[in-house]
Amino acid sequence: MHGRLKVKSSEEQKAEKKKEQQKKLVAYQMGMKKILSSRQKETYDKESFGISAQLLCVNPDIYTLWNYRKEVILIEHDKSKEDEVEGEEKFGQFLNTEISLTEQCLVANPKSYGSWHHRYWVLLLHPKPNWEKEFMLCTKYLNYDDRNFHCWDYRRLLINKIGITLTSEIKFSTDRLNANFSNYSSWHYRKSAVFTDPADSSAWFYLRWVLSNPALTKDKKEKLMEQFEQLEELEPDCKWILMAKCWLTGSLILSDCDHTDDRVLYYKRLLKLDPMRKGQYQQYLQLKD
Amino acid sequence: MATLIKDVKLSDNIVKKVLFEKHIDFINDYGQDENNYEYGMTDYLRISGMYWALTALDLMNSEPAQGKDKVVEYIKQCQDPQSGGISACIGHDPHILHTLSAVQILAMYDQLNAIDTDGVVRYIQGLQQPDGSFAGDKWGEIDTRFSFCAVMTLSLLKKMDVINVEKAVDFVASCKNFDGGFGSRPLSESHAGLIYCCVGFLSITNRLDIVDQETLAWWLCERQLPSGGLNGRPEKLPDVCYSWWVLSSLTILGRLHWIDAEALKTFIFACQDTETGGFADRPGDVADPFHTVFGLAALSLLGYESIQKVNPTYCMPQRIIDKLELKPQYLS
Ligand SMILES: [Zn+2]
Repeated sequence: MHGRLKVKSSEEQKAEKKKEQQKKLVAYQMGMKKILSSRQKETYDKESFGISAQLLCVNPDIYTLWNYRKEVILIEHDKSKEDEVEGEEKFGQFLNTEISLTEQCLVANPKSYGSWHHRYWVLLLHPKPNWEKEFMLCTKYLNYDDRNFHCWDYRRLLINKIGITLTSEIKFSTDRLNANFSNYSSWHYRKSAVFTDPADSSAWFYLRWVLSNPALTKDKKEKLMEQFEQLEELEPDCKWILMAKCWLTGSLILSDCDHTDDRVLYYKRLLKLDPMRKGQYQQYLQLKD
Repeated sequence: MATLIKDVKLSDNIVKKVLFEKHIDFINDYGQDENNYEYGMTDYLRISGMYWALTALDLMNSEPAQGKDKVVEYIKQCQDPQSGGISACIGHDPHILHTLSAVQILAMYDQLNAIDTDGVVRYIQGLQQPDGSFAGDKWGEIDTRFSFCAVMTLSLLKKMDVINVEKAVDFVASCKNFDGGFGSRPLSESHAGLIYCCVGFLSITNRLDIVDQETLAWWLCERQLPSGGLNGRPEKLPDVCYSWWVLSSLTILGRLHWIDAEALKTFIFACQDTETGGFADRPGDVADPFHTVFGLAALSLLGYESIQKVNPTYCMPQRIIDKLELKPQYLS
C-alpha cells in the first residue's frame, strides 16, 4: 500500500467503518464466486460479466478478472465471424465499451499494469483501432502526471505499432520538457543538455552520459571546464558542478595527470558538501593516492 | 534556482530499534482470517503476500503461527495442473509472479517436492518469447520483472538450462539506459524496482559484465535524500520498499558503502508503526506486510544485529541460498 495516511478515529467511527467494510468484503467475495464459477469456454453469463466490470473499477489489480474478460471477448470474437454482414461492426462496438472500461479504471488508478495491458490487448484485436485517440489519451495523462512511466511505456507500444518516426517522438518529449524542466521521464529522451537550474539533478544525470561520449574532443572538454567554473562562481555550493568537474577530469574521459591534483581537491570539497555519499568520494580519493 | 527536494521530515522521537514482538504479532494477525477486510480483499495477491509475510517472520527468527504445513497445503491447491503455473489464490489464474513466490516459500521450507516442479519448469519455459523476454502469463504482458521471476524460479529449481539464457540476457541488456539504469522494456525509464530486477537477473545469469557499475552505482546512491530515505527515481518521495531495491542493487554491485547507512536506518526505524507493528512506506502511513519485509531485509543488508542475514539477489534468508548451493554473481 502506498501513500495511505494513518488517521486517528473514535471507537464509534471504527465500528461504523468496520460495518461498511464487512459489507464490501461480502459483496466482493460473492461477486468473485459468481464470476469464477460461471467461467466457460463457449458461452458466458452476462450478469457475471457486468459484475467483473464493477469490481475492476474498484480494484483494477484483480488480474484474473481481466483474464476472464479476455476470454469473453474471444467468445464474442468467434461469434462475430458467424455474421458476415454486421459481425465486425458489432464486435468493434463491443470492444469500444471495453476500451471505455479501461479508461474508467485508469482514471481511478493510472498506475495499474492490468488496465494498461488490457487496453493494448483489446486494441490489437479491434477491427478498426483508433490509434490517434490513444495518443490523445496518453497526452492527457502525461499532462496530468508526466512521470507516469506506465503511460510512457504504453505510448511506446503505440509507436511501435503504427511507426511514428523517432523525430516526432523526440519533438513530443521536447515539448513536454519545456513544460517541466525537471521532468526526468522526458529528459530520458533528450539529446542535448541545457543549464538553466544547476540545483536540478535531472540535467546532471544526462550530462554524465554526454561526457562519457568518446567523441568529445579535448578542446570541447576544456571549454566545458571553463563553463563549469563560471557556473561555480554563481553557485559555489552546488555539488553537481563539482561532480561534473570530477567526471571531466577523472577516469570518465581525461586520464590527464595535469588535473590529478585538482580532482583531489574537488573530491575533498564534495566530502564536505555531500557527506551522505562520502563512501563514494573516499573510494575515489583512495584510488588517486 | 528554486528546485525543492521532495522529501519527508522525520520527527524527533524516533524509536531507534526494531520492535520485533510488535512486527511478529502484526504479521501473524494479518494472515489469519479471510473475513478480515484487508486480508479478504487482497486474495488476488495472496501467494506473494504469503511470501512477504513468511520471509519477514523468518528474518525475525520466527515461524508462522498457522503452521508451515497449512502454508504448503494451500500452495499445492494453487497449482494449475494443466499449465503447471501457480495462481495468487484458489480459483484465480496462474501467473509468473505467484509461481516465483510459491517456489521461494517452498524452498525456504525445504518442501519443493510438495508441488509438481516439472509443471512449474514447463510453465516458465513456455512464457519465454522469441526475443528472449518473458510474459507474465499466457496473455502476453512483457516486462523485465518477469525475466527476473523466470530465472529466479528456475535457478531455485536447478533448471536454468530449459530456457535460452543468452537470448534472455540480450533482452535485459536491451533495457539498459543512458544513465546506467534499467526499465521494464527497451527505452523505458530507469526505475529502482526494475533496476533491482535486472541487476538481480544478471547476478543469477552471471552476466554482471553488462552493467555499467560506476554509473549505475552513482545513480543509485543519489536516491538517498536528506531524510536518509531512498526514492525510486529522481524527484520522487522516499519509500521503505526502495530501501530494499536500491540497497540490494548496490550490494550486488559492491557499492553498499556509497550511501549513508546510519541515516537510512533512522528513516526505516521511523516507518515502523509503534502501535500496530509493521512498517509503512513512509512515516505516519498505514503499515503492511510488503513494506515490513523490505524494511527488515534492508536493515539486514545494513548489518542490523538479530535479523537473519538476507541474500541480496533472492530476498530470501542467506542460509537457504547457501543450503541450495546457489552462487549468484557479485561485483567487488
Ligand atoms: Zn513502497
